[in-house]
Amino acid sequence: MKKIIFLLLLVIAASTLRAQFTRASIQASGLTCAMCSRAIDNALKELPFMETVKPDIKNSMFALVFKQGQEADVDAIRKAIEDAGFFVAKFTITGNFTNTAIKNDAHIAIAGKEYHFLDVKDQVLNGEKSLVLVDKNFLTANAFKKYSTATSMQCIKTGKAGSCCEKAGLAAGTRVYHVTI
Amino acid sequence: MKKIIFASFILISITAAAQPAIGDLSPEITLKDLKGNPVSLSSLKGKVVLIDFWASWCGPCRRANKHLVSIYPSLKNKGFEIYGISIDEDTNDWKKAVTADKSHWVHVNENGGWNAPVATQWKIDQIPTNYLLDQQGKIIARDLEGRELEKAVKALLKK
Repeated sequence: MKKIIFLLLLVIAASTLRAQFTRASIQASGLTCAMCSRAIDNALKELPFMETVKPDIKNSMFALVFKQGQEADVDAIRKAIEDAGFFVAKFTITGNFTNTAIKNDAHIAIAGKEYHFLDVKDQVLNGEKSLVLVDKNFLTANAFKKYSTATSMQCIKTGKAGSCCEKAGLAAGTRVYHVTI
Repeated sequence: MKKIIFASFILISITAAAQPAIGDLSPEITLKDLKGNPVSLSSLKGKVVLIDFWASWCGPCRRANKHLVSIYPSLKNKGFEIYGISIDEDTNDWKKAVTADKSHWVHVNENGGWNAPVATQWKIDQIPTNYLLDQQGKIIARDLEGRELEKAVKALLKK
């Protein structure tokens, strides 16, 4: 019985750890109209965690919905867009938060992943919130420049933890997602 | 086993069916219009026809529509028609866009977006894509727009 309860708890814990983000909206740019290309639509739909891909002409964005219970990989999305011949100009992910305390210019673990919040006020996130990715190649070069000066930490340049983070228990090379609100 | 070989032959011959090219007679297309009634491309035989692949969320398509709306009435009187194929997956978006653009030509749609059979057969990799057909259904040109399109249509109408 104890084992069953333990397993159940494990399953519940795992399910809250996953499925943090439910959807995203992405602006892709290039020499031609990104939404008008079969390549980008197919590349996004082929991602295993993708439920729907819908172009939104009003905001010239793709509205992405992830499969329930599946972890979305933002790096895979970026790669799919780049492989189709475009680049990401804006990338917003949306998910549900429960008492998630965030601090400006600090690494925070959310659902088993490391996030580095930039240009935000210290606050507690609750309910549905959207985060804007500010890692290199997730926004325009000009916008990236702005955010890259918002921290003295090296990880903004690579998207990965430096050896300096090992003191804090974060292995060098761990993917750190740089975000703002 | 024989069945599998046969099936793969069919598959190969379908994929080998090349994209319609300039100079070819256009293959038949029959899709449903805004009211759900099937409309065949062949029903427009005798007219100069522009097959126009587009979607409501495609900015350049909507801009091209605007131009088509301005030249359509006078050309229609002389024997021109537009067979607009939308690859919208959401048919409500499609209908709304047609109303918003006031584009009063033949509008059809097929489920499946980019991977709808008609988009696959015509190897549509980006939109807008259009094909201009003469009165016999022969493909005369591809991706003409603006003045060039108007000139080509007028030249065909004089034939």
